[in-house]
Amino acid sequence: MMRPSLLRALIGAVLGFAIGGGSLVLLGGGEMGPGQILGLGYLLALLGFLLGIGAFRFWWAWIAGGEVDPADEHAAHGAAGDWRRYLRFTTDHKVIGIQYLVTAFVLFLVAGLAAMFMRFELAQPGIQVNKDFYNTVMSTHGAMMITVALVSIIGGLGNFLVPLMIGTRDMAFPKANALSYWLLPLALLMVAINPLLGGFDSGWTAYPPLSQQANLGQQAYLMAFITIGVSSILSAINFLVTVFRMRAPGMTLFRMPIFVWAMTVTASLVLIATSVVAAAFTMLLFDRLLGTGFFRPSRGGDVILFQHLFWFYSHPAVYIMAVPGLGAILEIVPVFARKPLFAYPLAVASFIGIGVLSFMVWAHHMFVSGMADAFHIPIMFTTEVISVPTGIVFLSALGTIWLGRIRFATPMLFVFGFLAAFLVGGITGVYLADVPTDIVLSDTYFVVAHFHYTIVGGTIYGLFAGTYYWFPKLTGRMYSEGLGRLHFWWFSLAFHATFLPMFWLGIEGMRRRVADYPAEMGAVNLFVSFAALNIGLAVAVFVVNMVRSWRRGPATVANPWRAQTLEWQLASPPPVDNFEHQPTVSATPYQYGSAAAPSPGHPAP
Amino acid sequence: MPSPRRHLLTAAAAWAVLSVVSVALVAGIQILPEIASREAQVEDAAFVLLTAAAMPVLMFVLVGLAYSALRFRAGDDDDEDGPPIHGHGGVQAVWLGVSSLLVLGLFGYGAVGLLEIRGSEPADYVVEVVAEQWAWHFIYPDGTETKELHVPVDRRVRLDITSDDAIHSLWIPAFGIKQDAVQGRTTYASMTVTQPGTYGGMCAELCGLGHTGMTVTVVAQSMADLEAWLHDQPPVPE
Repeated sequence: MMRPSLLRALIGAVLGFAIGGGSLVLLGGGEMGPGQILGLGYLLALLGFLLGIGAFRFWWAWIAGGEVDPADEHAAHGAAGDWRRYLRFTTDHKVIGIQYLVTAFVLFLVAGLAAMFMRFELAQPGIQVNKDFYNTVMSTHGAMMITVALVSIIGGLGNFLVPLMIGTRDMAFPKANALSYWLLPLALLMVAINPLLGGFDSGWTAYPPLSQQANLGQQAYLMAFITIGVSSILSAINFLVTVFRMRAPGMTLFRMPIFVWAMTVTASLVLIATSVVAAAFTMLLFDRLLGTGFFRPSRGGDVILFQHLFWFYSHPAVYIMAVPGLGAILEIVPVFARKPLFAYPLAVASFIGIGVLSFMVWAHHMFVSGMADAFHIPIMFTTEVISVPTGIVFLSALGTIWLGRIRFATPMLFVFGFLAAFLVGGITGVYLADVPTDIVLSDTYFVVAHFHYTIVGGTIYGLFAGTYYWFPKLTGRMYSEGLGRLHFWWFSLAFHATFLPMFWLGIEGMRRRVADYPAEMGAVNLFVSFAALNIGLAVAVFVVNMVRSWRRGPATVANPWRAQTLEWQLASPPPVDNFEHQPTVSATPYQYGSAAAPSPGHPAP
Repeated sequence: MPSPRRHLLTAAAAWAVLSVVSVALVAGIQILPEIASREAQVEDAAFVLLTAAAMPVLMFVLVGLAYSALRFRAGDDDDEDGPPIHGHGGVQAVWLGVSSLLVLGLFGYGAVGLLEIRGSEPADYVVEVVAEQWAWHFIYPDGTETKELHVPVDRRVRLDITSDDAIHSLWIPAFGIKQDAVQGRTTYASMTVTQPGTYGGMCAELCGLGHTGMTVTVVAQSMADLEAWLHDQPPVPE
């Protein structure tokens, strides 16, 4: 028997697609359209891929009544120093974390290239390339960047760090963890190749009826996102069980690092909300493929119902993206300010508050949709109230740096950049929560600017800060501080130069999701396109820094930042089995400035 | 090294000055590019108020960041920690209190504005709007159907909007209205236009290939002129 491998997975995917699609062609008697063929083909391709990569072999051995081969199980955990473990069904949470992180950054670059194309089309009034292709690229950029924001910190940093931070050997369900990752490659491939299937022009929001009419690329996107949703739910269950059942002795909930709290709240949101959007997308697929009428008024369906279901997930999703970033930032601030995290219990409470409120604000995306007027007032209220817990993050960060002894290494630069950008995102959000101003701003570039300030400001700045901060732990090597600083300043200047003018464009009346605009907005758009190109160049500096430092950076010590969380008490990178001795914990990891032990969580001797 | 109290007073003074200056700069300006209706006036006032309220918040965080970056920066060979302050009950309570009050105030103001724009005031004149990929149709009380939208000034006008296919959204920036057109439903937008003239409108909701070009000319005129114009329109072909 061939060993499970990526090659076998790809063969499995091709075979699965051929069996699924082929059987419909042969047995369908010409009734089956390309949508049905793609649908069953993709489903079986996904199954074939997972079989080929070996995702089910341990469970199958157990179901079949045989013994799980302990040697195989041990090998699946992955040997240190063997790069091929990254291309296999490896159950070590540190390997899975790096798989997620690298996948997310590759996706970030592809989606970034799509943004470069969009800014090329928008650099001048008139059509430079093609309106239809613009819509497909815009939709693909959105779909991919949403995925980056959803999986990069949670799947990447979260998987790598949470077991280390709570002092345990691995996630609660290592095999399900690997399965969550290996659900992604084929789904992401579907999103990437959607232009070959005719693309889709509905944006990532996929509102019907447009998404019912759109090409096969639309279906590829819907199927891919349902798959990503399944992966997210699996991963959320894993995080919750790990955090609640596997903490080291003495690690009470209120001694957990704030990043672990952020992941816990995020995982709860993922678990509760994701099935709703998966259901909405499935209903939409049924409308397209099986002739149902959930969202077809001509058959008694309702168009606005989709928007309610979609945003019931997709607004919490904004916090699913942002809260891990907030957690990473608050984890980093105390280390570089050399002060305890300010108001730690209140920060935890604010994460929980954000989590609860995030389920009550979805309809602020729908103030001009035609939903009942009576619904405007309560949603406006909850949306404005959620800025109170979100504001606590600023209290914690400012309270920590105030009177601190600040070191401006690259992670701390990104913390400051985060606070400035996320602040603008938060303030401009109030204009979109307030119905009178939202009527003007809905569907304009103001919205585009606002959500880039929150998601780049919240998630991507957090991701950069976290990637630099934990880079020595992940790789055992140090990044180049000079390139890090260059990346920060170039990226930040270019980011603000790109998105600040968009607020003005929106107020002046530039609609979002258009390939063309009035000629008098040409000069500002040209400036924005030039600035956007600089974002791309700044990210290239980051990529060079990461790739070079990972291969040839200077070896680092266990705890270069003198941080107090448990992961820094291990070697860099940590050994395969993490802790040689069970650590015990006696305080929060924020005891800076106290005469007490420099790190409250020692691996016991 | 100045005392903690001194740091606080210096930063607070910088914040106060910057807040007063920025609020003074914002107050009284017009933010919307064109205002031709009562609704647009309400919206512009909301923009100004939100911007004025945002300035002290913006300045608070920016001053806090800038001051810390300048004054609390450790030397290169300094490896000491800062003071072990884990929190401050008074500061936390004030922060929560002030941010809650600010939010409640903005909510109250927004609710009043919302009622002014979408209150239940009866309409004097109703035009039906039908959107399709990618054109607008306007049907007047006398049955006339046109491709341009003409509305009377100084009257309460309601647009009853629907769509034959995808979701569209009728946006007339100068009138401060934007409302989705949805298949299977009738949505509405009301306005009282105050300035006669010719304005632009467009579709604001992505509706496919022709979305960008789905624009419309809007004319606001006296009731008499509007009736004369309707009289001159060709009858709808059967």
